[in-house]
Amino acid sequence: MATISLSEPDAARAVPPTARAVRLPTQWLGVAPFFLFAILFLIAPTAYLILGAFQTPNGAFTLNNLAELWQPTIRAAYWISIKVSFASAVIGALIGLAIAIAIVRGGLPRWVRSATMTFSGVASNFAGVPLAFAFLATLGRLGLVTIILRDIFGFNLYSTGFNILSFSGLTLTYLYFQIPLMVVIITPAIDGLKKEWGEAAATLGATQWQYWRMVVIPVLWPSFLGTVILLFANAFGAIATAYALTGSSLNIVPILLYAQIRGDVLHNPHLGYAIAFGMIFITGMANVFYIWFRTRSERWLK
Amino acid sequence: MTETYLSIQGVKKSFGPTTVVRDFSLDVGRGEFISFLGPSGCGKTTMLRMVAGFEEPSEGRIVVGGKDVTHLKPNQRKIGMVFQAYALFPNLTVAQNIAFGLRVAGMPKAESAQRVQDMLKLISLPQLGDRYPYQLSGGQQQRVALARALAPKPRLLLLDEPLSALDAKVRVSLREEIRSIQKELGITTIFVTHDQEEALSISDRIVVMNNGRADQAGTPFEIYNRPSTRFVANFVGTLNVLEARVLDAQAGSVDVAGQVLALDRDLAPKRKGDMISLALRPEAVSLGRAGARTGALAATIADVHFLGSVIRVRTKIGDSTVSLDTFNDPTMPPPVSGTPAELAFAPRDLMVLAD
Amino acid sequence: MKAGKFWAWLTFGLGAAYFIIPLLATMEFAMRMRRGTYSFDAFAVVFGDPRFQQTFGYSVVAAFFTILLGVLIVVPTAYWIRLRMPHIRPVIEFITLLPLVIPAIVIVFGYIRMYGSNSPLPFLGSARGTDALLVIGYAILALPYMYRAVDTGLRTIDVRTLTEAAQILGAGWGTIIMRLILPNVLIAVLSGAFLTFAIVIGEFTVASLLNRPAFGPYLQNIGANRAYEPAALAVITFVVTWGCMSVIQMLARFAPKSANRPD
Ligand SMILES: Nc1ncnc2c1ncn2[C@@H]1O[C@H](COP(=O)(O)OP(=O)(O)O)[C@@H](O)[C@H]1O
Ligand SMILES: [Mg+2]
Repeated sequence: MATISLSEPDAARAVPPTARAVRLPTQWLGVAPFFLFAILFLIAPTAYLILGAFQTPNGAFTLNNLAELWQPTIRAAYWISIKVSFASAVIGALIGLAIAIAIVRGGLPRWVRSATMTFSGVASNFAGVPLAFAFLATLGRLGLVTIILRDIFGFNLYSTGFNILSFSGLTLTYLYFQIPLMVVIITPAIDGLKKEWGEAAATLGATQWQYWRMVVIPVLWPSFLGTVILLFANAFGAIATAYALTGSSLNIVPILLYAQIRGDVLHNPHLGYAIAFGMIFITGMANVFYIWFRTRSERWLK
Repeated sequence: MTETYLSIQGVKKSFGPTTVVRDFSLDVGRGEFISFLGPSGCGKTTMLRMVAGFEEPSEGRIVVGGKDVTHLKPNQRKIGMVFQAYALFPNLTVAQNIAFGLRVAGMPKAESAQRVQDMLKLISLPQLGDRYPYQLSGGQQQRVALARALAPKPRLLLLDEPLSALDAKVRVSLREEIRSIQKELGITTIFVTHDQEEALSISDRIVVMNNGRADQAGTPFEIYNRPSTRFVANFVGTLNVLEARVLDAQAGSVDVAGQVLALDRDLAPKRKGDMISLALRPEAVSLGRAGARTGALAATIADVHFLGSVIRVRTKIGDSTVSLDTFNDPTMPPPVSGTPAELAFAPRDLMVLAD
Repeated sequence: MKAGKFWAWLTFGLGAAYFIIPLLATMEFAMRMRRGTYSFDAFAVVFGDPRFQQTFGYSVVAAFFTILLGVLIVVPTAYWIRLRMPHIRPVIEFITLLPLVIPAIVIVFGYIRMYGSNSPLPFLGSARGTDALLVIGYAILALPYMYRAVDTGLRTIDVRTLTEAAQILGAGWGTIIMRLILPNVLIAVLSGAFLTFAIVIGEFTVASLLNRPAFGPYLQNIGANRAYEPAALAVITFVVTWGCMSVIQMLARFAPKSANRPD
């Protein structure tokens, strides 16, 4: 380096600093709008709430807000939310997986697959208020299925304790977008299962079940788990369907937070921050767990 | 040939209205290395998959070691199979892949570990047991696939174009390795390929398939030098084809573009006036010096390609083209295009093609 | 083999029933408005309701601006990352996935607290500002889908070679983006746009908390007060969503097949 620069000392000294000074910022300039946008409207608002969760109204540090989350109504809200999200995610993932396997590997005609994929694209986006209307029209007290069960099969759904406004009703409703979302995401993973793996296993003497246990399940497991976590977060933050279905009678976290934002029903603004923090914490932990799982036990993944 | 071990008897396979394999019969001796050779789509894979048990023949039987396995499930046939795309289980290490068949069979851990070590040594990758498939090159993956197939001591080894996905150099070294491992273990093997050089270089016998049929089965020497059909002759090696008219079937004399040629065989049932196709390998023809060889035809040199140690010459006899290679002899002047030349060959090298 | 096929049909059949029955039931319910006979009265009432027209129009406009904002943010970024800064790609991907982890209600809660009329950026001080914040929030919600769509589109063309070729021919950055990159990823951008539209059109949480007269809060309001109209609205929304997805499917057929990877 030194010997080379000796020949042209002035040029060597003058050029590199300017080149460096000009190059770095222009390169980052290209992504500056994105980062500005993300910081202002995604990261800062979230960080603001997280900080607020640890502050008193005067700005002093406290853990009281978090401690107050433990009060029965809030605790119950978290618990129901977790239950509904978990149940709809796991059941949705299992059913979605079964459907995806059926359309990819079941030897069904081609149109079945393309029709299912198109429909799944639609249904996974058919969430929110209209979905609640659809399920009220189906399984509400005057819904078509309720009436058919009652008039034709003599079966009174509501006498069994079923209620569309309950845990099981909400879960059943959420499945309407959870299952298709699973189908959309997991189908490519099932396409990735090579037919030859099954044939190789068969020539090596494996039964269908042994092949599944030793190859298919371990191979699909990371995608499966990742999608379950996504479905969980998807349901955990959803409010519109539940709100339209139940009004504010079902005490789930997003509805509680919604009421708190509108009217400070908890009489402590910073408790709202704590609830928001709790939501991020739970979905965040689910993702951390997933990342940890992937890096730790799946060394075969590239 | 030693005793018959695998016997394919009159097998036919149809998918709906299309018949993909027909009238396929073949006896394979114990320890024999057989290649199925043919263009893509001719039914090689389908025939192999029937032996493996993934397809059921529409007609005919498949017998292994005296036992009819036609309707046996693949996982009860004790067959080792190697696929074109390696098909290693991505979630298992090399050692676990090789141990798969042993684990499934319930072999004790220690014994299975020993066998995996032996197999790794056999494929000369003793250090790579703990790697995952994605950490291996294509050639290494295919060797692991071979070890995996061989570990449970199968009765038959089936390979479906195992070298097609590899680059040329690896392809040659691996095919020799496959052959030497096969000889060492003495395992009966069917090797599917569309590459004639591959088939010629490593097989005990080759079955040339055409449109679902076995056109000819024979040693590489027979297939190359005594092709029984026009298809086989064309598919294996380069071939010069001459159209000829029979002058005297019994004496074996024919007319090629106005020149009389004496063949050393009886051409019956062809009769005087019939057209026949004669084939000649480029290496069976030489320029000029007829010498001991008795066949000779006058031709015109059409063009000359200098290829280094060899000179490829294309000549015209009437409408037919005959290519031949001559060694580059620095002491001789090279052939000149447009000049007349005499083609010399031994009459018994002329093949009469069945249509 | 045969048994497998039976189970596949059974699984598919049960799934299809679960998804089709609510649609039929909703349609049937919507048609019950006139006593004793089926009619399209509920649809007529809905379409004749001026608030339906206003709120639906408002959401369409909001969706349009959301798409515009999303494209302006995402296309140059994704392009630049592919061209010059592939090493920060994981960071960008992580950020674009955050909206799937942070619930919308949390994000909008943050907006309400940060961008009030007394803050340095008083978005909420005026109606126009609130509209802008709504569009921004929607752009954030759509970010994962928009980024994914555009990035997939860029993957199929060889960005670097195309750009260098254009530069050799003397093209400036504006020309390169407008004439070269955008046309090539247009299909991908459009797919992202229609997905964004489907997400935005009936969105409830953000619009309701920002007090905007959008379609989502209107739906909720009708649901709380009427019997048959909600079912009609559900059918309409489903048709709109279906339309968006069909357009995306059709676009996918026109998408350029990968230039540098044969498949
Ligand atoms: N499952 C199947 N259904 C219908 N046709 C098939 C099936 N499998 C193979 N074929 C057809 O059979 C023919 C032979 O195929 P294959 O045995 O794979 O040929 P090769 O291995 O010699 O290239 C091809 O024309 C192929 O299209
Ligand atoms: Mg084949």
